[in-house]
Amino acid sequence: MNKQIKFDSEDEDFFGSVGSFGVPKFDNAMHGGVPRGFLVVGFTEVGSGSELFAKQFTSPAEEPDNTILISTDESQLEIARVFKKYNWPTDIAVRTLGEEYNARVLEKELLASRYRLEGFKLPDIQRLAQTRFVDDDTQDFLTEMTNEVMAMGPYFRAVIDSLDFFMQREDPGRVVAMLRMMQAHTQLNRGILFITVSNDTITPAVKQEMAAIADMVCDFKVRTIGSDFETSMIVSKFRNAPENLSIMVYRVTPEEGITPETVERIA
Amino acid sequence: MDEILRGGIPYGSTVLAAGTCGSGKTTLGMEFLVRGALAGEACAHFTATEPSVKLLENIRQYAFFDMNMIDSGLINVFDMDVLYSWLGLDKASFDLEDVHALIKAIVDIVNTIGVTRLVIDSVTTLCYKIKSEQLIRDFLFTLGKKLATLGCTTILISEITSASENAHWSSFGVEEAIADGIIVMGDVERMGHLLRFLQVVKMRGTSHSRAKHSIELTPLGVMLTPMLKWGAVNDNTNRWGA
Amino acid sequence: MITQTGGVLDLFELDQRIAEQLSEVSLSSSIQVRCGNSNAFMVTASTMIPLMQMFEMGGVYICATRGAVEIIEAFETIGIDVSNIQFIDLVSSGILGGTDVQYSNITFIDSPIMLESVLLRTLYRLRIANTERNFVLIDSVNSLAIYNEEKMLAEYLHTFINTFRQREVLTVILNVPDQVPPSVLSNLDLYCTDLIDRGQVVIH
Repeated sequence: MNKQIKFDSEDEDFFGSVGSFGVPKFDNAMHGGVPRGFLVVGFTEVGSGSELFAKQFTSPAEEPDNTILISTDESQLEIARVFKKYNWPTDIAVRTLGEEYNARVLEKELLASRYRLEGFKLPDIQRLAQTRFVDDDTQDFLTEMTNEVMAMGPYFRAVIDSLDFFMQREDPGRVVAMLRMMQAHTQLNRGILFITVSNDTITPAVKQEMAAIADMVCDFKVRTIGSDFETSMIVSKFRNAPENLSIMVYRVTPEEGITPETVERIA
Repeated sequence: MDEILRGGIPYGSTVLAAGTCGSGKTTLGMEFLVRGALAGEACAHFTATEPSVKLLENIRQYAFFDMNMIDSGLINVFDMDVLYSWLGLDKASFDLEDVHALIKAIVDIVNTIGVTRLVIDSVTTLCYKIKSEQLIRDFLFTLGKKLATLGCTTILISEITSASENAHWSSFGVEEAIADGIIVMGDVERMGHLLRFLQVVKMRGTSHSRAKHSIELTPLGVMLTPMLKWGAVNDNTNRWGA
Repeated sequence: MITQTGGVLDLFELDQRIAEQLSEVSLSSSIQVRCGNSNAFMVTASTMIPLMQMFEMGGVYICATRGAVEIIEAFETIGIDVSNIQFIDLVSSGILGGTDVQYSNITFIDSPIMLESVLLRTLYRLRIANTERNFVLIDSVNSLAIYNEEKMLAEYLHTFINTFRQREVLTVILNVPDQVPPSVLSNLDLYCTDLIDRGQVVIH
């Protein structure tokens, strides 16, 4: 497949060769930002602030209609609240697969419960007699997510938070295969794709495979120091720029969201 | 059939139509419903073996069948898969609660639309999901009893592997006992050729014929004639080695 | 009527006396028609043509001797259209490609031993026939006797005749008498109400 995309020279000038992390100090640390065409994979820990980072990653939104946040754990309302709090653009595309899944599955269970307790009414029976196929609610969300990304145009920006939802429900091999597809699409279209996945939901082998596919790998860590928490991001892989490998300690501020610390803590 | 049964199936009976594959059970069941619908009775068909789309496609070839009966609601065809899905029963096996939910749903449907003719095709497939034999017996017994109370004449189609004289008509050891009637359908092998047969083994409340009848599935429906007695010398019903 | 067989032109003449005999039977009659090997088609045609043309009957022809296509073509050769006659062919299924035919009025049954199927198919064909008066013709008992045991065949003919008598369908049973098992022949004598005997060919 030697598909080539012709990029507009105006776009090339506008978008440049790198895109922002959404955290200016991270951009500086990475000598400009995330190179266009990069797949960034974040391996996360609970409490490391990766969810906020994922949202913040969408905030540059160079082209809001070519920017998407796919969340599997949060609701539209919750996400909108966070975006409002930090004054990030709210006109990007947001898809909450977790919410959709819950609505469908829970709704179906509720209906089944009603039928079992109250029985069928005549309209229900008439509808049942006309229904020839089972309404397949076990929708393939993994394919849907992949399709969302694959439908993005040149210089897109996409964030998937997180792959845990899929790792718990699908064959990890299939998830990794989809990751490859998205990586290829990202590279071809000079997009930027950021994906998070929790360390606890994947095996070392799967983690290694994902790290191999990714252009950039960040490990989101949290540790306690005394009575305080320290959150850090370890850039453990940066394709063709090993000088960008670093450890960045960060904190959350109400003004900027995630921001690296400039003061070094001494344990 | 009415001649063999000396009038027909008594109202409210639960009849087991046990047959080997391809013996014409589904066609017999569908014709039973169509004849009822022609007389203005509300009928229902629960299909567990074959998707309703395929069932209706196959049954269309018969001149006795009219799609209008489905469209007008005289004959209601229900896919068991869809019913399971609606009741939250899309799982590998059913427990006591699930079985009761299923019985309640079927009885609800019969009661609400006033079904007087019902076919379940097949009860064997339905019971595969019920893991405990005791639970299967309870299911069949309770269902039969409730349907009889509602005055619904029911044909339970059962799949058996052999229709020979020594065969059991029940897959689960209980259907024969709870059924008011038993119709056996199978094949006789006559010098390498298969002839379909039907035999009424039991029908409470009638002085039915117990002769073995040869059947043909024609576009007009099931046609029967007594099997030749001297044919039995060469006939072999132990086709599947039972 | 003139027909060509084996490259030789022959005169085909119906036996008018059969037509006269047929005018004396009723719909619930069962006629035993005896013929010889050499005059079988002539006797069959002499029986069928008056039934179709004079008495305006439809019917079912059960072919146990020759395939239905052969019978149809034989009639067409002598200028008789048999498209409103239903044929039940017991022979062609045993021949590779024998059932691949263009005629819509032929039903195939796998074998002459499936006697009950023959009866049921005949009943079905009669039920959907659009003629008020009908006949059923078995061609022939001799062929059925090849495949079926005597007692079974005798039982079958008894059932067959009684079934159609009850339904007021004329039954015609063809046989070459000196080649039919004696018990079957004597049973036919017993069950049938009428006899048309052309069993011996008269040589002038």
